[in-house]
Amino acid sequence: MFLITRPRYDKTTHYLFYWTGNIIQKAQRLGLTIYDLSKERASRKTVESFLIKRSPQVTIFNGHGSNETMAGQDNEIIINSKNAKLLAGKTVYMRACNAGRVLGQRIIADGSKGFVGYIEPFMFPYDKDKISRPLEDDLAKPCMECSNQIAYSLIRGSSAKEAHEEGIKKHKEKIDELSTSDMPPYIIAFLFWNISNQVYYE
Amino acid sequence: MTNKEQEQKNKEEVSDEIVNLVIARLETIPPNVAISVGKEGNFGVQELIEKVRVKDEIGKKIIDMELHYLRSLPELLTPKDIEKDVSDH
Repeated sequence: MFLITRPRYDKTTHYLFYWTGNIIQKAQRLGLTIYDLSKERASRKTVESFLIKRSPQVTIFNGHGSNETMAGQDNEIIINSKNAKLLAGKTVYMRACNAGRVLGQRIIADGSKGFVGYIEPFMFPYDKDKISRPLEDDLAKPCMECSNQIAYSLIRGSSAKEAHEEGIKKHKEKIDELSTSDMPPYIIAFLFWNISNQVYYE
Repeated sequence: MTNKEQEQKNKEEVSDEIVNLVIARLETIPPNVAISVGKEGNFGVQELIEKVRVKDEIGKKIIDMELHYLRSLPELLTPKDIEKDVSDH
């Protein structure tokens, strides 16, 4: 069983919301049980309730973060040191800024099986003309698809370390592809930034 | 890059030459492009150029990102790229 949060209330979470939909579709095609806590359901109360009552093996959080917090809808803090213990025994991916710096380590100390996240802002370019159609945005696609790889690996049963490595590999393949394609070269700097600041703990 | 190395780099003076280099790279990005910098917000290219020019927190982050990429370019070349370069000559 897997739990995914995908708030949607600003441009960044709007993009994450839609691209996370691909993860959910993949899980559904594999016949897996996914708890999709989207928009208003990406609240602290709902997340805690699902963590306690449903006990998902893998949790994938999307949204904004800080060194010590993970946020849900409307920037409500849904995971911090006070409830990190609810992630004991689970593998966690936080696609959010900075949560890998402190919160990720706290999650491990409180008994989580593994954590993948970032120690700096997760950045990506996007096309202002494609905001209403994020899945057609070729500028956002590389960063979104490559970071989605971590989630795909986790839902297929990879450990945090394996998912981290598979994510890095996907990024490097994309960087190689973009280096010789007609796609704008500036995208590569964002891919490289995100993988350089991607961490895992077990 | 480790946290310690990153923090050390942040503390270093950012020279005007580096600022101009980063601005020159940003100026190649078309105006329809915006950048998500996480919870810090979303910015158009001109806004980012201004932030780099004044070296505010987001500007410094963008400078970090660009410099990190430029310094790592030799690592990013895969063996097949090097073989292709050699055979082209």
